[in-house]
Amino acid sequence: MNLAMLKPGEKGRIAGIGAIGPLRRRLMDMGVLVGEEITVEKIAPLGDPIEITVKNYNLSLRKKEAEGILLEATK
Amino acid sequence: MTPPNAVRAMSAAETAGIRVAVAGNPNSGKSTLINSLAGTRLQVGNWPGVTVEKKEAVLDHRGTRVALIDLPGTYSLSPYSEEEIIARDFLVHDRPDVIVDVVDATNLERNLYLTVQMLELGIPVIVALNIYDEAEKKGYKIDVRAMETALGVKVVPTVATRKTGMDDLLEAVTGTMAKGSRNLPRALRYGEDIEAAVRKLTVDVARRHPALAEKYPERWLALKLMEGDRHVLAEASITDVDSLTKDAVAHLKEAHGEDLESLMADARYSLAAGLTREVLKRPAVKITELTEKIDRIVLNRFLGIPVFLAAMWFVFKLTFDVSAPFADWLDGAVNGPLTRWIESLTALLHAPDWLVSLMTKGVIAGVGSVLVFVPVIFAMMFFITFLEGSGYMARAAFVMDRAMHSMGLHGKSFIPMLLGFGCNVPAIYATRTLENPRDKALTALLIPLMSCGARLPVYVLFVGAFFASRSGTVLWSLYVMGIVLAILMGILFKRTLFRGESPMFIMELPPYRMPSGRSLAIHTWEKGKHFLIKAGTYILSVSVLVWFLLNLPWGVENKKDSYLGKVGAAIAPVFRPLGFGNWEASSSLIAGVIAKEIVVGTMGEIYVRETGKKPEGPAPTFGEDLRELGISFAKAGKEAFSNVFSTAGIASLKAEEKEGQETLRSVVAKTFTPLSAYAFMTFVLLYMPCVVAAAAFKHEFGTWKWFGVAFVYQTILAWTAAFVIFQGGTLLGIGG
Repeated sequence: MNLAMLKPGEKGRIAGIGAIGPLRRRLMDMGVLVGEEITVEKIAPLGDPIEITVKNYNLSLRKKEAEGILLEATK
Repeated sequence: MTPPNAVRAMSAAETAGIRVAVAGNPNSGKSTLINSLAGTRLQVGNWPGVTVEKKEAVLDHRGTRVALIDLPGTYSLSPYSEEEIIARDFLVHDRPDVIVDVVDATNLERNLYLTVQMLELGIPVIVALNIYDEAEKKGYKIDVRAMETALGVKVVPTVATRKTGMDDLLEAVTGTMAKGSRNLPRALRYGEDIEAAVRKLTVDVARRHPALAEKYPERWLALKLMEGDRHVLAEASITDVDSLTKDAVAHLKEAHGEDLESLMADARYSLAAGLTREVLKRPAVKITELTEKIDRIVLNRFLGIPVFLAAMWFVFKLTFDVSAPFADWLDGAVNGPLTRWIESLTALLHAPDWLVSLMTKGVIAGVGSVLVFVPVIFAMMFFITFLEGSGYMARAAFVMDRAMHSMGLHGKSFIPMLLGFGCNVPAIYATRTLENPRDKALTALLIPLMSCGARLPVYVLFVGAFFASRSGTVLWSLYVMGIVLAILMGILFKRTLFRGESPMFIMELPPYRMPSGRSLAIHTWEKGKHFLIKAGTYILSVSVLVWFLLNLPWGVENKKDSYLGKVGAAIAPVFRPLGFGNWEASSSLIAGVIAKEIVVGTMGEIYVRETGKKPEGPAPTFGEDLRELGISFAKAGKEAFSNVFSTAGIASLKAEEKEGQETLRSVVAKTFTPLSAYAFMTFVLLYMPCVVAAAAFKHEFGTWKWFGVAFVYQTILAWTAAFVIFQGGTLLGIGG
């Protein structure tokens, strides 16, 4: 289960970050950390990127980047 | 108190009493805060060697000199982006006396993550708790005293847009230097196992690399070694990092795994989260905020794109239609009264004819060609700053990213490309909204393929001569050709020059905010001023050079004998396979590097021997000239205003034929064939950007490199495309 699979309005808790190197560090710097709750808010009109909320602010990222964010298997 | 120039401001910054680095997250209002503090004393330049903007100011606070240096906005001090490396290198190597850390009070936790990293440096920190009013409006209660105790630094609530708290902030800054007050913040502790590693590493580094212990703050260096920070390792040429850190971090790796960089990010965020819980009370019931309501429409699945297109139409129309009347006014002022004044002046001094011509047709005309760009650059900068400051730029990037990403670009590339259809020059400047150097360079390289307004007069002339019955279709085919080639070149560049992973997108969608008028004014003014000074010099020199080419040897009757004609004749064979291998066409193309519309003017001079006829009757007096200038300026203002509201079309993109072109058109109709005319228009569309665009490339990137790339690929592309069209058409027997 990863972040790119969620629909708008769905939530998840981060279980792991599959990305490596600069992308991993950048995600963590933006507060995308293991254990954090994350909500998908919107999907862009053309289907990519997506908007999420994490740590009480809004962040957007491409689906490819979201695929590396693994979620706990709960709703 | 205003320093007259940058040089003095720089040296003043060095001798000033207190050196203050202003740091903070993007969207924390840092830029507005520094504008509020510095006002007109702000000096804008670039960080050496990069395109990142650097702002500085020297001010006086109750007798103490305070030198402010604005660091790039960053979320962290990681070693992965240009901005972050600039910020950390400055903090570590230039050691400012105080860091003012601008923190967005509405987004405390993520902002404190950077604060925590600042505190690792052992430099006094003052927190400017900015956007405090908005936090209060959201119902946030922040215990400022508790925050001061927890962080061990002074915290000053500020509202930079209303200049609230600025005096307190400066007071706190000067206070840090007074009477050896509680100067250094106490280091925040990351938990016993990490601290044990830091202690051990500090000792080991001091023993094995005593020189490094001198050069870097010890705690910071120990943390960076643990993280395996590649920037620090390379800079300090540490090759034995593994053996150096092995003992110190063994227990950490055993407990937490190999990835200590992530462990540290976690540790810092835990501190930031703990601090936030301690000092911030959020209202129990979350109110639906304005930003959320706006985004429901702006980012809506179905409405998102129409809203975006409408917004873009407005930006384009406002940028070009508001500035065009003022550009015309400047053009008129330079070519009319100013030229006349210089003529009278040189006549008074009994200057020879060639000098009068050089002054008026070379220098003054060159000044004119620089000045006409100033209104559009002002307008572009104003709207770009507005889009960024308001928060819409991030939404535009969000909506467009999918489409732009497919050609290797970023969602934010769309706006610069769009502006390119009006004029490539402001479009190249508008690439500054792209943070990543790769995205920025690639966008700028493709902009010249967007057919700008200056190419239109060339099309109008040729379409009028050959394709009058299908003018719309032919005109559109040229615009579409530019777009299609931009897409193809984008894909090609992505696979060659810019190979490798495309930069990440991870982008904050900040809340919508009203940008402050002061910020808008400062950015707009700075850009216009820099363009005049920096780009102006190049453009002026090329204009003078072309004057020499056109008019020397002095007194040439036939343009064919001028240097321009000779150079044109020499390179004409290159254009023969394209269908226009004569000196007239090639000379016009050379002159067109000043601005592509000049191709038409030069053809006029060559083919028709048009000599700018002087109006009959007595010349107006100086007073009449001045009055006329005032009246026409007022008219320009009125026209700009009515342009915005009168029509839905873009006034500055109307294809209108100038008066008195019938003769030129009939000559062109005889010298070209429909096929060679189309090949010629294709060449004009694609060949090298004009000198003003070249100057914009140099100015925006700080190097000629990217202009060089554009020059080479466009020359090849233009020649090839025109060749394919002419030869292909000839083979097929079309329009030959």
